Amino acid sequence: MAELSFTEEELKEIEQLKAKFPTAKAATLQVLWVAQRKYGHVEPEVQNLVAETLDVPKSHVHGVASFYTQYYKEEKGKFVLDVCTCLSCQLCGGYDILHHLEEKLGIEAGETTDDGMFSIQSVECLGACGYAPMLQVTNGVYVNNLTKEKVDTLIDNLKNGKMPEFESMAMPELEKRNQAASE
Amino acid sequence: MPEVFIDGKRYEFEGKPMLLQFILDQGLEVPFFCYHPAMSIPANCRQCMVKVGTPVKDRETGEFEHDENGDRKIRWFPNPQTSCSTPLQDGMVVHTQETSEEVARAQKDNLEFILVNHPLDCPICDQAGECPLQIQTYKYGPEGSRFEVKKVHKPKRVELGPRVTMDAERCINCTRCVRFTEEISETNQLTIVQRGDDNYPQTAAGEEFDDPYSMNTVDICPVGALTSTDFRFKARVWEMNQTPSIDITNGKGCNVDLWTRDNEVLRITPRENDEVNDYWMPDAGREAYKLFNENRADRPSIKLDGDNQSNTSWNNAIETFAEVLDAHEADDILTVGSPHASVEENFAFNKFFNLLGSSNAKFTPDVIPGAGDDFLITDDQAPNTNGCRAINLDEADSNSLQSAVSGAKVVIILSDDLVGREVLSAADLNDSYTISFATNENDTTNVSDLVIPITCIAEHAASYVNVDGRIQRSYPAKETKYTNRRLNLEMSEGRLDRYGTNFDNWVSEENKVDCLPVWQFLNKLAERINLDFSYNHSRDVFADISEQFDMLSDISYERMDEENGVQLPIKQEEVKQA
Ligand code: SF4
Ligand code: FES
Ligand code: FES
Repeated sequence: MAELSFTEEELKEIEQLKAKFPTAKAATLQVLWVAQRKYGHVEPEVQNLVAETLDVPKSHVHGVASFYTQYYKEEKGKFVLDVCTCLSCQLCGGYDILHHLEEKLGIEAGETTDDGMFSIQSVECLGACGYAPMLQVTNGVYVNNLTKEKVDTLIDNLKNGKMPEFESMAMPELEKRNQAASE
Repeated sequence: MPEVFIDGKRYEFEGKPMLLQFILDQGLEVPFFCYHPAMSIPANCRQCMVKVGTPVKDRETGEFEHDENGDRKIRWFPNPQTSCSTPLQDGMVVHTQETSEEVARAQKDNLEFILVNHPLDCPICDQAGECPLQIQTYKYGPEGSRFEVKKVHKPKRVELGPRVTMDAERCINCTRCVRFTEEISETNQLTIVQRGDDNYPQTAAGEEFDDPYSMNTVDICPVGALTSTDFRFKARVWEMNQTPSIDITNGKGCNVDLWTRDNEVLRITPRENDEVNDYWMPDAGREAYKLFNENRADRPSIKLDGDNQSNTSWNNAIETFAEVLDAHEADDILTVGSPHASVEENFAFNKFFNLLGSSNAKFTPDVIPGAGDDFLITDDQAPNTNGCRAINLDEADSNSLQSAVSGAKVVIILSDDLVGREVLSAADLNDSYTISFATNENDTTNVSDLVIPITCIAEHAASYVNVDGRIQRSYPAKETKYTNRRLNLEMSEGRLDRYGTNFDNWVSEENKVDCLPVWQFLNKLAERINLDFSYNHSRDVFADISEQFDMLSDISYERMDEENGVQLPIKQEEVKQA
């Protein structure tokens, strides 16, 4: 890979991010995002660039980047499908969804399709247990209450370049409570 | 004075100690993994849990409240607390696993969790026998496990760096190794990667764990996850004997233990001494075990025809030595002491030739400027430079030693590879008759006319004065051809109930070097030339030294043993360049 570097503008942004935190180390997460936005991933070279820019140990940035599935430690497909297989989703069929996807796309979790369109990851709880099973598309929209049919539609739409819409999810219990309070 | 009640017993305390350390200081025990007294306290292993409460005080009066039995009312913390991170408070009441079922249960269940993904491969693990996880599981752990599911697999046999091999499956993620590189060696080379049950320590991509202190992580890893690449699979811990000694590879004199089996030193580990090295030592010092086993000067050797050396008998060596002394005036003889040899060796050596009329032996410090750091690696490459100064040997730089050599007909060198470290060249010694007392074969012994093999630090009791002026001593750890662990009361004999059986740590009589302590050889030589010189033991040599030098007058082996070495009133001057 060619020498990596941040542009003047990016460096300015990084300075602003640093100013928000008491130490440069604390800005690691934010600066990793800047890097991932730029390169589409945070491969080791990119991690090292972040470490050098922030003047923190390379090992530290490596540890942080490896902790979060949201940072891509290698090049990924255009759409990264993070299928939650943590407890709630697992109980509601998260693995069925994952395996269905794997079969459909002909790849396993952690892999990317040959055409570079899709990557699948099996990830931990994304905080949407109420609408399990669920998945997230490229660190963005959640697709909730998954069924195999819903997954099929999602893939077709994505292939046509159509991202799923943000869904506002109802919280039945909360609504009941709110209603009771207002009465 | 503030008080604390631990398992029903009252203790007083000062300052603000943490509960776990205080318990350990009382000689009591609570199991733990992640805590290390020299590093920060992350409280992440959760093994050290105890039950803790504080007395209830009346807010108005500040008086203790009492129950109907007249006992103080105690407000218990709602959950067990990690004792490593709990500061003592006045009146605190503590129950450890000894007096609380609940605590014993908490510790037991915690161990069950820690072991969920542990491979339990103790039979093939180097750490077995000195493994906190193994020991504490035996003492406090569950008999079985309720986790009868497949274990998580992680990388094995990973070369983290040139000297440390990792088995990530054994790791319990205590972060001791990571904290070591952050807080002690300050190289920041390690971090924990991944998360949950997938995590383990790693370096940044493309970096290796080549920290000059890397092997300390092997010592502090509370499981067998980090092992010494060199020592892996060489010996079980219980097959070796452990003898206290001093690191001789630089001037710091780190306190170490020599681990021996069958008269071979198999590894060197640091021994705690707050005044010198805490719990640590440089990796380089651990390599020294090879010097004790390999390439030893074994049996005297002599140059007969041309440049060929051949082994000879001790009698012949003594005879030759005596003849050389006989044939020369004291003025023609140059004696060179050594910062690499102990105080006793230098003193006995110097005294012998003083008695024959020679002036004080010269010595040349072995210093590489810039080689050291501000921690445990020093510019000084020798363990006893200050010891040579303390007994008034004549400090000479390379040039003045060269000219002294060129004016001498006989050069007698004590345990110093002057040619190898380029103080002298081989040619400088061409015109004189050169006698070397040596532990190992090297460039200097190769050009010597007579080589007298002598004991190394692993074979004798002797003292060394480090760069800071602290005098510390060694113990014999392995036998020579002429010593016997039963007769040498200072030697660790291994388990007596196994002595002489197949389970003895000494099953072979091999690996004994044919060498003598300097003073014993000189005894024999003195007898041959009728000189009044005789020392039975290095203790006798030291007794003479204390008598002769004020600075050492109240120092003895006993004091060095009791106080873990003694600081001499030496100005902590920089060791000057050779
Ligand atoms: S390798 Fe050893 S010292 Fe390091 S985190 Fe794991 S158990 Fe702790
Ligand atoms: S378990 Fe899947 S979102 Fe929480
Ligand atoms: S020693 Fe207290 S939590 Fe690890």
